[in-house]
Amino acid sequence: MIRVLYILKEFSRNLYRNPGTAFSSFLSLTLLFLLFDLFWVATETSEGFYENLLSDMRMEIYVREDMPDSLIDIMEFNLNQIDGVSAIKYVSKEDARNELIRMVGIDLLAGYETTNPLPRSFILTIVPDKLTSKDLNDIDAHIVSIDGVEQVYYSQHWLGKVESARKIIFQIGMVLGGLIFLTALISSANNLRFMTRFRAVGFHQMRLLGAGKLFMGFPFIIEGMFLGVISSVAGWGILYYGSQKIEFNQFELIFPSLDNIILFCVGAGLLGIISGYLGLRKL
Amino acid sequence: MSEKIIVELNNIFKQSDRGIQLFKDLNFSLKAGETAVIVGGAGSGKSSLIELIIGEKFTDEGSIEVFGLQVKKNRKGRLKKIRRKIGGVGGLFSLIPSFTVSENITFPLVLNAEKKAIKKERLFKMLTEFSLLKQAKEYPRKLTRVESSLVQYARASIANQPLLIIDEPLAGLDKYTYKRIFDYLVKVSLSGRSMIVLCSEMPEETIPNTKFYRLENGTLV
Repeated sequence: MIRVLYILKEFSRNLYRNPGTAFSSFLSLTLLFLLFDLFWVATETSEGFYENLLSDMRMEIYVREDMPDSLIDIMEFNLNQIDGVSAIKYVSKEDARNELIRMVGIDLLAGYETTNPLPRSFILTIVPDKLTSKDLNDIDAHIVSIDGVEQVYYSQHWLGKVESARKIIFQIGMVLGGLIFLTALISSANNLRFMTRFRAVGFHQMRLLGAGKLFMGFPFIIEGMFLGVISSVAGWGILYYGSQKIEFNQFELIFPSLDNIILFCVGAGLLGIISGYLGLRKL
Repeated sequence: MSEKIIVELNNIFKQSDRGIQLFKDLNFSLKAGETAVIVGGAGSGKSSLIELIIGEKFTDEGSIEVFGLQVKKNRKGRLKKIRRKIGGVGGLFSLIPSFTVSENITFPLVLNAEKKAIKKERLFKMLTEFSLLKQAKEYPRKLTRVESSLVQYARASIANQPLLIIDEPLAGLDKYTYKRIFDYLVKVSLSGRSMIVLCSEMPEETIPNTKFYRLENGTLV
């Protein structure tokens, strides 16, 4: 117990003995985490935006003109068997004409009652997990093999762009995350190293009296963890406060889930422990 | 008195970092309860001898055993055990600048994970014995040389460390402090604790149970 008390006392002392170093360490870590948090929120927000757009995405299947209406049910049954299809809506020539009237406002096909040129079609809704270029391509290939299908249409080009944008965001996130992780690690370790150098004489004496490296270094490791956790919490706090103060009309900011934020703060604490260990390597 | 050997140095050879031969076939042994006074001039290797005993430096040849444990490189756990049984004053041993007097004195008890009540009781005893009650909350930078020295004595005694190593205990002391320290050395030597005292000159008075050595040309005579 006495050793635990000593370690806790030394940890709190470290903070008030070198308030400048501790504060600069806290500030630099907070800024680094804030930068990462900002990027994370931007990513979540854009993900939400894309998911919203993707959820509206449909696949349109046009039926060949020579396909008798009596076989439409068989076609619908075959389409229903395809993995990833969650709903099917059949659009007859008449439905298509009504939809055109709804969109344009007038009946452009007036006088063509017997020879409606609009095609019959199916509109497929795809399960969210399959809304990727690869899966939609597979579904497309499957559909064209069904008898009576004239053409399959979906926003393939647009989907490709969305996926490419998501990939770029992910890659930037990885690089940025890596850089921030490294910078936080080096900065925190250097601050702790600076503090231990400042107390080199004392540590030498402690060693001569039989103190081990872990015993001497533990308060610094706790300090690293403490600074990591409070800096990450402060980063999220600033971001949340800012989001409450600034109004966004065009879109809504999406924060990561609370579980993920807690995990991030725990991770920041671990980062602090690692930097504490690295800072004390040559103690 | 027990015949247990506390410190044993066998055929020690050691060169300094600059290549000077410090010890040549040096042998030394200290039994429990004994006091050894080692006299040697400046640069004779007194401090290096202490460094070897506490595992701060290591021999080129020969073996060292302290409390029955071999002092060897890369045996940090063993060195910690040895060092916790040694109380040191002067020379290599100084105070921890960031600790108060009380914290410096009780540090060996913290390392031994002694209970708080024991720590409190022994601290009070030490502060009283060495007249340091007024300085208890001071930091070392505010102490005089004599006060610092007294704090070191208190620290070297608080955990009843079985071996006491004192480097130049009586140098530069006023008459009053000289007498106090000398009485303390006598008390320790009669208490059953072992003691190694390093001096550049032979003490004027004799400490009981003492063996005298002179460190000359890298060996003890």
